[in-house]
Amino acid sequence: MALSACSNSSDDNEGPGLPGGSTGNNPGGNASKTYKIGWQGPLSGDNQQLGINEANGSRLAVKEANDKGDLGFKLVMVESDDVGTADKAPAAAAKLLQDADILGVVGPAFSGPTSATGKTYAAANMGLISGSATNATLTSSGFTTFHRVVPTDGVEGTQLAEWLAKKFKTVFVVDDTSTYGKGVADVVRKTLTEKGVKITNQGVAANTQDYGAIAQRVTQSKAEALFYGGYDAQSALFAKALAASGYKGLKMTGNGGKSSVFTSGAGAAGNGWYFACGCQDATTAPESKAFAEAYEKMFNTPPSTYSPESYDATNALIAALKAAVKTTNGNPTRKSVVEEIDKLDIPGITTQLKFADNGEVANATVNLYTQKDGKIVMLGKMQDQA
Amino acid sequence: MTDFMNYLILGLTRGSMYALIALGYTLVYGVLQLINFAHSEVFMSGAFGSYAIVHLLVGDGKATPSWAVPLVLLAGMVSGALLAAVIAWALERVAYRPLRKRGAPKLAFLISAIGASFFLSQLFGKLFGRLTSNSFPEFFDQNAVIFKPFGAEVRVLQIVIVASAVAMMIFLDRLVTLTKLGRSIRAISEDAPTAALMGIDIDKTISRTFVIGGLLGGAAGFLFGLNFSFGNTMGFIPGVKAFAAAVLGGIGNIRGAMIGGLLLGIVENLVPVVNIDTKWTDVVAFVVLVLVLMFRPTGILGERLGRAA
Repeated sequence: MALSACSNSSDDNEGPGLPGGSTGNNPGGNASKTYKIGWQGPLSGDNQQLGINEANGSRLAVKEANDKGDLGFKLVMVESDDVGTADKAPAAAAKLLQDADILGVVGPAFSGPTSATGKTYAAANMGLISGSATNATLTSSGFTTFHRVVPTDGVEGTQLAEWLAKKFKTVFVVDDTSTYGKGVADVVRKTLTEKGVKITNQGVAANTQDYGAIAQRVTQSKAEALFYGGYDAQSALFAKALAASGYKGLKMTGNGGKSSVFTSGAGAAGNGWYFACGCQDATTAPESKAFAEAYEKMFNTPPSTYSPESYDATNALIAALKAAVKTTNGNPTRKSVVEEIDKLDIPGITTQLKFADNGEVANATVNLYTQKDGKIVMLGKMQDQA
Repeated sequence: MTDFMNYLILGLTRGSMYALIALGYTLVYGVLQLINFAHSEVFMSGAFGSYAIVHLLVGDGKATPSWAVPLVLLAGMVSGALLAAVIAWALERVAYRPLRKRGAPKLAFLISAIGASFFLSQLFGKLFGRLTSNSFPEFFDQNAVIFKPFGAEVRVLQIVIVASAVAMMIFLDRLVTLTKLGRSIRAISEDAPTAALMGIDIDKTISRTFVIGGLLGGAAGFLFGLNFSFGNTMGFIPGVKAFAAAVLGGIGNIRGAMIGGLLLGIVENLVPVVNIDTKWTDVVAFVVLVLVLMFRPTGILGERLGRAA
């Protein structure tokens, strides 16, 4: 979809259904003015499904903001595809940074791209609000403009490891050696060791196609439970290989594995897997009912992993932009938007949109999910689980 | 012992797929002294060719009666092999023959191959979507254990893969040893100008060599997709591994490619047995490769297609 309209450049298209110029029904606001926000995440490549989930959430937020009519300006979102990898991220960030009209960015979606571009964005005073970059170190790496609406892998990993430690004495921990996968697996290892659980460690390259040997290794170890730190497509392959090798223990992964790519890829082998995710099940939670309906109407598919978080991140950025327009008398800068992000305190559908000084969301919850009969269902807050 | 056997079986399964792909590298090297780097995408196209036909025949496969499953699988393998053969043939026509006619240096072929490789990968991404996790329908319980040598478990899928790979390898070996086409291939790999003087049509033979390599690679793509999952970028890693396997066995040598493929598959899967972290699998595999080449620089069976087959 064309979301790159702009009032002062001739080669861009106007957004659909959003005629340029004043709509005439916004007294007090200068509706002819256009402000842009950026979006960075994977729209192609191995993890495009997570990216599409998020982009859709953001597209919906932008559409609703424009439709509502009280914005006072026209909002346009420019999407930049970073394929979810750190090596493609600088180019994706440059695309957004070079457009002087872009005043803030939703994303980057993944941790790797965020660590690769956080400094550059900070140097340009460009405010970032990510709906899914969860690596714990991102808020302590000097990325001064980075914010996120999700709990870190540190929080997620600690809570899920505490849950595992309540039930099991031996756990096999595998990671995919990526920024996200290894990050969360390391936290799990540390917490489990502290709790006196015996762990076995292994890594697999993130582009492995044959999980036969590692699955055999897990089965042979007779560990009571397995934790895998990695993304959905790979988790699905691992799930299949584990089923083939006859592993009977509990299988669990983090937020990166919880998606429809996992359910469709793993098939029956995915039943019984557990997922820890600092994310909301938008199809069942009462706070997000209206959102889920609007989403399904717009994209003909129910919202999936990180759609509601991305919707919240976008709404937070829009609210900050709106405030910045007001305080600067219609001349907002990137810096003024960052300042407004830090002052936010509004309700979102997944959490209260209020950020601590380091950019972490003020109160975050981790939920436990499981796959039953080919569907991922939410069991409740991680801390409440027996 | 049981564990060792389990890993060995996994290694044989993976290795027989490497071997099938490696044959494509080795055959082309035999006749052209050229590494066809686009062969990994020929392999990838086989998986999609099979997928298209299987999908057309049975949709998601849930309603397939059990008697039809072997037929559907056979149709899948044949269509995958055929599509890959067509692509390999076209590749030779478009990317290599024009260069050969103009007497281009070997490096130009290499660049042409890499270009074709990217083109094919992106084309299939565009046509079929860029998900890496496409998979065939599960027609039967793929994890049913058939028999247990030394307590290790052998599964249906593993038998399907190893048996079809071995059948194809024997067929190819006989083809090259006994038929007229096989003799032409060997003659060209031995000495192309003299073969031409003896009345062998070089262009036709090279074309057919590409087609044979494509058939095997495509079948391997189908088997790979059946066992794991597939996508437009799936070719790269198995391609590099199969190339290494061909070198390990002695590039240009058909039996060498088979041995090299099986050996590499087994080495990779025995990594956990000696208690090395599985993330080092590729490192271990390539260390073994380098060690073998230090002592036998021409690979295990050495030298050229013409002599050993």
